[in-house]
Formats: sequence, structure tokens, C-alpha cells
Amino acid sequence: MRLLIVEDEVLLAAQIDKFLRDHDFVVDVATDGKEGLYYLREGDYDAALIDLGLPKLDGIGVIETMRRENNATPVLILTARGDWRDKVAGLEAGADDYLTKPFHMEELLARLNALLRRSAGYASSVIECGPLRLDTSRKELRVAGAPVELTAFEYRVLEYLAMNPARVVSKIELTNHVYEQDFDRDSNVIEVFIARLRKKLDPHGNLKPIRTVRGQGYRFVVDLPRPV
Amino acid sequence: MGLQTRLLLIAALVLSACLGAVGWIQDRSFKAAVRTGAAEQLRAVAYGLLAAAAERDGGLFFAEELGEPRLSQPNSGLYAYLESSSGATIWRSPSIVASGSRLSEQSPVRQRPAPGEQIFSLAAPIAGEPSRFVLGYTVIWEALGTEITFWVLVDEAPYRRQIVEFRRDAALGLLVAAAIFLAIQGIALRWGLNPVRRMVSRLRGLEAGSRNDIGDDYPRELAALAHNLNRFIASEKANRDRYRNAMDNLAHSLKTPLAVLKNAVRELSERQAQLFEEHLARMESTVAHQLSRAAAVRPTISPASVALMPMAARIARALERTGAPKRMAVELIDAAASPALVRVDERDLMEMLGNLIENAFKYGRSRVRISASVSPDSDASPDSEGQQTPSATLLIEDDGAGIAPDKRELVLERGERADLETSGQGIGLAVVVELAAFYQGCLTLGDSDLGGAAVRLSLPAAERTPERARPL
Repeated sequence: MRLLIVEDEVLLAAQIDKFLRDHDFVVDVATDGKEGLYYLREGDYDAALIDLGLPKLDGIGVIETMRRENNATPVLILTARGDWRDKVAGLEAGADDYLTKPFHMEELLARLNALLRRSAGYASSVIECGPLRLDTSRKELRVAGAPVELTAFEYRVLEYLAMNPARVVSKIELTNHVYEQDFDRDSNVIEVFIARLRKKLDPHGNLKPIRTVRGQGYRFVVDLPRPV
Repeated sequence: MGLQTRLLLIAALVLSACLGAVGWIQDRSFKAAVRTGAAEQLRAVAYGLLAAAAERDGGLFFAEELGEPRLSQPNSGLYAYLESSSGATIWRSPSIVASGSRLSEQSPVRQRPAPGEQIFSLAAPIAGEPSRFVLGYTVIWEALGTEITFWVLVDEAPYRRQIVEFRRDAALGLLVAAAIFLAIQGIALRWGLNPVRRMVSRLRGLEAGSRNDIGDDYPRELAALAHNLNRFIASEKANRDRYRNAMDNLAHSLKTPLAVLKNAVRELSERQAQLFEEHLARMESTVAHQLSRAAAVRPTISPASVALMPMAARIARALERTGAPKRMAVELIDAAASPALVRVDERDLMEMLGNLIENAFKYGRSRVRISASVSPDSDASPDSEGQQTPSATLLIEDDGAGIAPDKRELVLERGERADLETSGQGIGLAVVVELAAFYQGCLTLGDSDLGGAAVRLSLPAAERTPERARPL
């Protein structure tokens, strides 16, 4: 999942950045409102963390502008003021949730996961389809009850596909959401990951949870038959 | 009593005193003129008689035709008789004889006029006969060698009628004049007081929040006051804004480093981390609590009245957007016949309602109910004059676990939380308690029939800020 952090306090931004990277997110950081808006316009993010007190363009301004431009990226507001007027103004401008500073990183992660889940249309942090059980808060996959070891990249690919169910996801889109900007973007690498994932998810090849749509990309199938 | 009514009342009092005096003087003059007129008339008749009298055989007689025909008609109202110095009646006009009056039987005045002298007055009343004016004139009739007094009398009634008619006309005239004067005075007062009325209406607009100043288009006498008032309003607002901005900036500059430190703690050893966590939590709680307390600035100018329910609904809708940590069914009930209004700074009210509704979302399982009411029997403390004002109440209920009665007092205290499982700083309720007390309101905790907590916020109810100014 690709996230954008818009926070002017460099130290705090770095901490959040590191913490989220440690939790398998791909993160971009902007340090003022204008830069944040530029990133939001240019990139395709799964969620944005926006501080309300930003230089150049404040957080509410960023949210209002992006919503006016039909950018539906889920937004989590970070606010130091803790003032309800700011919170309500932020939510009314189009933010989806808020977090008051200072916060625990675990709480940030929980709110972020809830936000991502909600925007994908899942009510719980656990996505179940057939024998597959993906716990997005623990970053854990079980197939027919047995835990399956995934590398960070494999997990990111699977999570992104699962968070965009029943939709064709192109290789480029997938690359954008699971790789850092400066990573080698060879589409063959994605194919290798998909092949490895398929083997881990469906060792016998009878479920086919990740379907290939020729010339377009991949589609995650949600309504897999439940194991008997 | 309004300013305009007072001024009109004073004008009316002064006017009635003046017009009363004018009426009295006019009346006196007119009465004097009427008396003079009557005297003149009687004198003319007396002179006529004197000229018409002729002596013969040692006595006086008059020709057939008297100069004044009324003297010959019965009950004509004009009478005359002649009296010798001995008091004997020498001659009576036919009008006396024919009407059978006892007029000549008693002297109309106490003392007969001396020769050459005239007396004019009201005649001594005779029982059963109308009141009359009398003129007496004594002459020495040399040919007869005796003094003769000519008495001429006229009924007073026609003169009195004239006076009554005059009084009626004069009173009517004065009343019309008074009415016109008062109407003009009323219009002048309205026009004159217009700037004051404008100022009052703008002050109300200021209270209602629809204006930022009272304008400067006032006459010279009020301009200085308006100017100073505008400056006061602006500086009060600027001070409040500056203070709040300073508080906001302080919050921002304290909380962000706190967040950094809090996250850096994870890199420390367990013992160190525990120490840091503990003290950071204390700092965090103090900062949050003291800042929200300090940020509550009651404005000098009474804040506009705010309706509880729309603001509660706005916050609930915003929180519904977050859907975190679970989906809530929110029920909003405005039970009050008229909207529950309070005179609380909008920001402070939002702070109170935000904390309470957020708690309901946090601790409730699936349902939150918010209702507003106005009760005449107040829960709120009496105001400074010891009067019980009606209170506007917002009741926020949820279907969570509720708060055990023995813990209720505790959770209202600073930084205490009934459960430690749900995230939060635990200072929300304490801030609400303090803010409510600041506005002479109170916060009480109870049980809801939904199964969870019922939090009741009572604040002194406000009247709706009128759009238009009351009459002056």
C-alpha cells in the first residue's frame, strides 16, 4: 500500500515514515501543503496522512482542494491543536478520520488500517475468501488455517490486490503501490512475485484466487468456494 | 420606560401646562370683555333714558317710544327703573310691569351711587328670578330739586352663553393645537432618536454574530461613542483571537515534540522506556488539560445564542464520517418545543459537545442517542442575582457498558478514565466539566435505557437573539 505523509515536523515525519515502512507500506513524505498537494495530484495513494498545521497551504486547504479535484484518496488528519473546530472542519472538508497529537504509532497504524479497510469496503481487518484468511492488522496470511510465510513484497502485492477486490489491477498500478519510487521497475519482477504468490496461496492450482486478465493485469477473486 | 416615551411624556406635560395657562388667560380676558360689553350696553340704555326723560307737573315721564324697544317688551331681559333719593320708585319700564318682576322692590346693590357716579356689577339675586347685570347712575335733577337714580338691568344668561361657547371653541382649538404639536414632536423624536435606534439594532446584530462592529454613520454627538465602542469591540476580539492563536501555537509547538519523544521511546531500553512513558504521559495530560482550560475565554460581549441540537448533529455527522472504530446508528431527538439555545462561545460549546459525543462513539457498541430539551426547573446553578434561569440540556446516551455509579465521580476528575482499554487521554470529560462550570452549567452522569451511559450537559438557556431591535 502506498501512503503519503504530509507533515512539516521533519523528525515526526521521519518517525512515521520509518514505522510505516517497517510495517510494509510504501511511503512518500511531503513537508508542506503545496508539496503535499503536488504529490497527491501526481501520485496514486491508498491513503494520506495530513497534518492540519502546515506551512504554505494548511491541511484543510489541501483536503478541500484534493476533494474538489475529485481525488478520493482516504485522508487521516493529524492535529496538534486537538481543537474540535479544527477536527470538525477537517472532517467536513472531506477527511475520513482524525488523530490527535501526540499519538502512539500503534494507534496510528490501527486507524490507518481501519481507513484502508473501509475504503476497500471491508468491515473487518480480516479478509476471508474461501480457505484464504488475510489479517491486515497482523500482516498475516493463513491458508486453510495454516500460517503461510510471505516476504514483504509478496505481502504487499497480495494486500493491494485483496484491498482492490474484483477489479483488474494493471502491472503498472501494482508496481506503483508496492515499490519505492527508485526501485527497479521491471514488470517481469511482478510476474515472478505473482507466480510465487499463486504457489503459496493455492499450491494445488484448483482455486486460482489471482486471475490474469490478458493484456490488462490481475484480478483478485473474492467469492472463492469455502473449503468443505 | 423607553427613551422616546419618556421624552414624549415630558413634552405632553409641558405642553398641557402651557396650554392650560394660555386657556386661563384667554378665558379671563374674554370674560372681562363680555362684562365691559354688558356695561357699555347698559350705559347706552341709561343715557337713552336720561335723554328721553321729561318733567311735567313736578314729576318725570317718558315719551311713548323709549329708545330701546326691549324696555317695552315683557320678559325681554332688559329692564329699567328710576328711584328717588328717598328710595321711592318713580318709574318702571313696561318690561318690568308686564313680566310682574319684583325687581324694583329691593335695591340691586348695597349702596346707591353718589350723584354723577356710575356703578356696574351683578345685581343682588332675587329668589325665582334670573341673575342680572345692573348699572346704576345717579343724577341731580335740578328742575325737580331731587336726586334720581337710573337703574338699568340686563339678564346675565346670554353673556354666560357667550362665555361657554367661547370656552368650548377655545378648548377645541387648543386640543387640536396640542395634538398637532405632539404629533410633530413624536415624528421629530423618532427622527432624532433614529441613530440611537440604529446603534441598538447593530449592537444586537453584534450579539447575534451577524455584524463585527456598530458602524460609523452616526451624528456628531454619538460619533465619538460609536468610534470608541468599535475600537473596544475590535480590540477585545483581536485580543481574544491573539490569545487563542497563542494557545493554539503553544499547543502545536508542545504536542508535536511530545509526539516525537513518545515515538522515540520505543528505541530505549525497557526500564528507560517505562520512565519516559510515564513522564511523557504526565506532560501530555498536563499540556492538553491546561491548554484547553486556558483556551476557554469567555468573551466580554455576550456571545450569540447557539442552538445545541444543530451543533450536536454537525459533530455527530462529522464523527459518522470517520466510522472509527465502528459504525454507529445515531438518533437525534429535539424534544424542546423551541430550540434549546445557550449563550456560550461557539468554540467552547463545540469543545464540550465534541468530547461528549466522541466518548459516546468510543464507548457505545452500536447506538448513540442525542436529545435536547429546555427545562424551567434548572439543574444549573443560580446566576449572580440568585435567580434560577431555565436550563438547556443535551442528553447523550450510548449502548456501551456505561459507567459504574462508584466510578462516576472519578471519571469527572481530571485525567481519570473508567476503563483503560479504549484509547484516549482521559481528560475530555474533565475539560467538559470545567467548561460547563465556567458557563454556570453542569455535567451529570447516569444510566441510559439504551444500556450504556447517559451524559447530561446542562447550561443556562438563552433567549433567541432577536433579529430586530426592541422599540426605544
